[in-house]
Amino acid sequence: MAQSKYATEYDGVVKTMQMYIDGGRQGKSALMRPAFHPDASFFGYAGGNLATGTQFLFEWIDKNGPAPDIQPRFVSVDILESIAVVRLEIDGWSGAVSGSGVRMSDIFTLLKTPEGWRIIQKAFHWHA
Amino acid sequence: MVSSPVSMGTPEKNASETLESWKQIAAHLNRSERTVRRWEAAEGLPVRRREHQRQDTVFAYSNEIDEWNRRRIRTQLRPAPITTVSESRRSDGPLPGEQAGRPTANRYLAEHDAITRTIDLYIAGARGGRGDLMRPAFHPEATIAGFCFGVEYSGSIEHLFRWIDENGPASKIEPRFARIEIFETIAIVHLEVQGWSGKLAGANARISEVFALLKRDGEWLITQKTFHWHDS
Repeated sequence: MAQSKYATEYDGVVKTMQMYIDGGRQGKSALMRPAFHPDASFFGYAGGNLATGTQFLFEWIDKNGPAPDIQPRFVSVDILESIAVVRLEIDGWSGAVSGSGVRMSDIFTLLKTPEGWRIIQKAFHWHA
Repeated sequence: MVSSPVSMGTPEKNASETLESWKQIAAHLNRSERTVRRWEAAEGLPVRRREHQRQDTVFAYSNEIDEWNRRRIRTQLRPAPITTVSESRRSDGPLPGEQAGRPTANRYLAEHDAITRTIDLYIAGARGGRGDLMRPAFHPEATIAGFCFGVEYSGSIEHLFRWIDENGPASKIEPRFARIEIFETIAIVHLEVQGWSGKLAGANARISEVFALLKRDGEWLITQKTFHWHDS
């Protein structure tokens, strides 16, 4: 893959991920919904219980409200032509549901659609 | 992608013996034919098939069988714990049920092997053209996403099982683990597969596959398969 092509794809992936981060920071699922594929899935344990489905995520984000101090870091961005894997570490989650100073490890898989990169799954580990 | 190649115990013909029947495979493992057939059906014992007009014949490479058996024994000796414990707590001392002084690296190996065993079931199903063989590797709510010849396949994992059944055996697939990463309760596996054949795959297809896994009750289950089909 030519360097310029890689940078373009990388920026496309990060742009989509930024919608997720912005939605989380402002506590507004409406900001992150466009980043997700209609068939996207969501998996992870929250307080020992398995949470599934993007609906759970979106409702959680809205209920949690703003988390102005989140510190996101991209650990890895791997692009395999039409699919991508992003490892995101977020520290400093706060809000009505999460409590304060929470750390989250996320794995996002993305699919390159004609409309751009879309998250097809978010899996998370909540560091209790 | 930064890859850390992990050998699958791939057939190195000079180092490995070819076992030519259920009888020979059973003898190699010192078990009954019934047991090794059950292991193939339920646990992904890597048995290959030669396709013939009337009936397929089975064979296996002894080094693949041995590698599978090592993983099986390790998993039985150290079943993955039901609840996971964070790195920080882990370093404080032995976990309940864990022997004092056992290197914590063993815990990593147990998780790593449990994950490869789950993917082994997927590979066994793909090789045999049998969706039912791979079904136990997947979470009930698992999904699939990717493009195949420009057509997007996304939705329930049932699509995959149907595709596998319809495609039929792909006895020459060559899978390689390009990456296995574990983050406590979630994991990601990048598998590169070459030589995929069958009614739908055509001949010698190459597929890059990314699996997301979730640890549930001490067991690793695939929650998603995303793939890129390399058009030749």
